[in-house]
Amino acid sequence: MSIKKKIGLGLMLVFFVIQFIRPDRNVNPYSNAEISTVLNLPTNVDGVLKNTCYDCHSNNTNYPWYSNIQPAGWFLARHIKKGKEELNFNEFDTYSQRRMISKLKSVLNSIKDGSMPLLSYTLLHGNARFSERNKALVQDWLTSKIDSLSSQKKTY
Amino acid sequence: MKSLLIIITAITTILSSCGDQKSNTHNTDKNSDSLNNSRSKSDTAKVQEYSLNDVTTAYLQLKNALVSDNSKEAASAGKKLSDAMQALDKTSFKTDHEKLYNEVKDDINDHAEHINSNPNNIDHQREHFDMLSQDVYDLVNVARPAQTLYKDYCPMYNNKKGAVWLSETKEIKNPYYGKKMLTCGEVKEEIKK
Repeated sequence: MSIKKKIGLGLMLVFFVIQFIRPDRNVNPYSNAEISTVLNLPTNVDGVLKNTCYDCHSNNTNYPWYSNIQPAGWFLARHIKKGKEELNFNEFDTYSQRRMISKLKSVLNSIKDGSMPLLSYTLLHGNARFSERNKALVQDWLTSKIDSLSSQKKTY
Repeated sequence: MKSLLIIITAITTILSSCGDQKSNTHNTDKNSDSLNNSRSKSDTAKVQEYSLNDVTTAYLQLKNALVSDNSKEAASAGKKLSDAMQALDKTSFKTDHEKLYNEVKDDINDHAEHINSNPNNIDHQREHFDMLSQDVYDLVNVARPAQTLYKDYCPMYNNKKGAVWLSETKEIKNPYYGKKMLTCGEVKEEIKK
């Protein structure tokens, strides 16, 4: 066997073997700490958030086909882990009121400056991209919610 | 036939070594767990040394870094702030203040960590500094600071919604815009020690 053939065969072997190393899936039962149980979420805003954010910021990911192919699945798992640590819409009720306000502000800021949704995500999930209309819808809702929550803030 | 045999042996070896690796990482996880445990034990011993004063000191250091547009220094002050906050002894708060402490603790930590992890993005650091300042203000306002502090107000930040910050000097030095608008803002309140 020539060296080239051996290397090719080796790579194929590695690719074959890594398919067996599969990360745990982000699939969980319904949580009653979900954001819609705490904040009054209009259906259209709820829909946009679910469509654009929930794959990485909730306890349930709608997995694309390529997640079954490694190493793509590994990258996804890492993104989801980081995303959930940062903000989890399914566990929103576990945040203190201040933290809720901070989280909403951060969501608003990252939508405004375009850092979210991640480009690497929208490139592969075209339907998760914000339309101008949806973007305005979510931003308006966030702004008014932040204001109303801030005015209710407990004083000590 | 011979090469097929070699491939099969190779697969089994790799698969079994993968299994080994898994259990190895598991072991190191355990090791680092026990490491963390011992570390947190020594932290508890140190808790008494931390007070609200360390929180304000770290906060002021962060504020001054932002005043001088130094995002690297702001990042390291953010780390100090989250350390001081995590080690803050809540028993030093009166019971009614403890509620406030519980309410702001995670929030302050979150902001401090974000500031720490964005050493190249001063705009993002300032966004978090804005939210953080309100928390720290509430905290020192009920618990009284170790030194006299001033609550300052910048009317322009946040799309002209305004933002507050705390300072140790009466003189205005704006952390939201740095040298672009250094003396813009006003003193709103003096928080006496």
